[in-house]
Amino acid sequence: MTRLRVVVVLGLVALGCQKPVKPGDPLPGLARAERDRFDRGKVVFDSVFTPETGLGPLFNATGCGECHENPAGGRGDEVEVHATAFHAPVCDPLAQEGGPVIQQHTTPALKQALGIDQEPFPPSATARAMRTSPVIFGRGLLDLVPDSVLLAYADPGDRNHDGVKGRPNRFLDGRIGRFGRKAFVPTLREFNAGAFAAEMSVTTPEQPTEESIGGKPIPTGVDPAADPEITQEALDLADDFVRFLAPPTPLKPGKDGRRGRELFSQTGCATCHIPTLRTGYSPVPALSNRQFAAYTDLLLHDMGADLADICLGLATPADFRTEPLLDLRGAEHFLHDGRATTLEQAVELHGGEGSGARDRFRALSAADRAALVAFLKSL
Amino acid sequence: MQRSIRTAALTAILLVPLVTSAPADWRALNSAQPAASYTYQGTVRAVDARTGTLELITGVGMSLRVVRMTVAPTTRVAAGGAAPRLADLKPGDVVRAEGRRTTTGLVADRVEKLAVGTP
Repeated sequence: MTRLRVVVVLGLVALGCQKPVKPGDPLPGLARAERDRFDRGKVVFDSVFTPETGLGPLFNATGCGECHENPAGGRGDEVEVHATAFHAPVCDPLAQEGGPVIQQHTTPALKQALGIDQEPFPPSATARAMRTSPVIFGRGLLDLVPDSVLLAYADPGDRNHDGVKGRPNRFLDGRIGRFGRKAFVPTLREFNAGAFAAEMSVTTPEQPTEESIGGKPIPTGVDPAADPEITQEALDLADDFVRFLAPPTPLKPGKDGRRGRELFSQTGCATCHIPTLRTGYSPVPALSNRQFAAYTDLLLHDMGADLADICLGLATPADFRTEPLLDLRGAEHFLHDGRATTLEQAVELHGGEGSGARDRFRALSAADRAALVAFLKSL
Repeated sequence: MQRSIRTAALTAILLVPLVTSAPADWRALNSAQPAASYTYQGTVRAVDARTGTLELITGVGMSLRVVRMTVAPTTRVAAGGAAPRLADLKPGDVVRAEGRRTTTGLVADRVEKLAVGTP
């Protein structure tokens, strides 16, 4: 019995002394080889590309770290442009006109050849969307939440009459999506590989061709690097770096924060921002069968006409994926386009399926609203 | 960019969707096919039964591409147990298209409309 007590006490002490995970840290418990890949992947992630090493001819950023920074994997202040065409019920991502990501910069060679400073905005677009760079902490965990869990949270017919539906988006080939503000991309791997091509026009073995210039071929001589412009090994390392980025440990909430956590559930925020999810199996033990603070259901919800912008996949213009609430304490702008500068504003801008929770938030006393915000700021 | 590099890149993009945009089981299914065969799974962007052309959207993450195929009179079109016509396909449908590259471009041998879950 005494020995058991000692073990329990030592265990509690160890838990209490566990080093908090800071933004940009790797997942605790990575094996040495995995930690080595994290470190080497960070080098790729922080690389700055030039036209000679694959950048462009169209691009939004010169490297991953330009938009996911302070620290690597965190937020940047960049805002990019997306465009699609919605002809209900079909969404055209305008791939034939350079969509859905419309690059905002060109290399000097392309500018000289075509006289453009950015990719032409697609003439067939029915809407334009602005997109801030999200933090990418904890994405390896989100990647491993089984589809069956997401489907269990879906309620497209609102059978429980709570005003909240939720449905999965699907990628072009029919698989369930979860990454991106419209939950369009099924896996973290594809999101990362696609980002090299869509954001930097750095071709990879998995997307080995350059995008057209608004649907037209790239002029001869403006893209000096041979395709693919990075190796499979470099792509794999960058992917592992992102996959192994840990969600930061929430701050210990004070009395207000604890009260705010209760209110988060009572007002219905937690209906979509599911506080914890569990991963399925992974060969990486640090990712496998882990319960983690996610604050998302990874589903699409109609957020109302005021926030509506583009369609993507099955997502209508008003549909957005529930944003994972990770590292909110480091955020200065909120929502998909950064239009909210405070958490209160972000809640106030929830419409559609979010309007019930918003109205309950509004109905709280000033002290309770402050407590709920204090809780959010602890994340 | 040199012509040979472009040719290699074009070949690669035809192969890549096979291994990147597909569920693992179908990836395995197709891995034994001859190199000249290509399989795409994507969304119909446009279909023209009169000219026998089919455009699919495929891609990796947010990096999307359009694949153009010719549909010959001999091309089999399927949907579950049914055998619809090419004209029955419409933009937004998810299909799996198997084809081969010829001197005139990509020709579809079989196009199957897939049932996508709608929970």
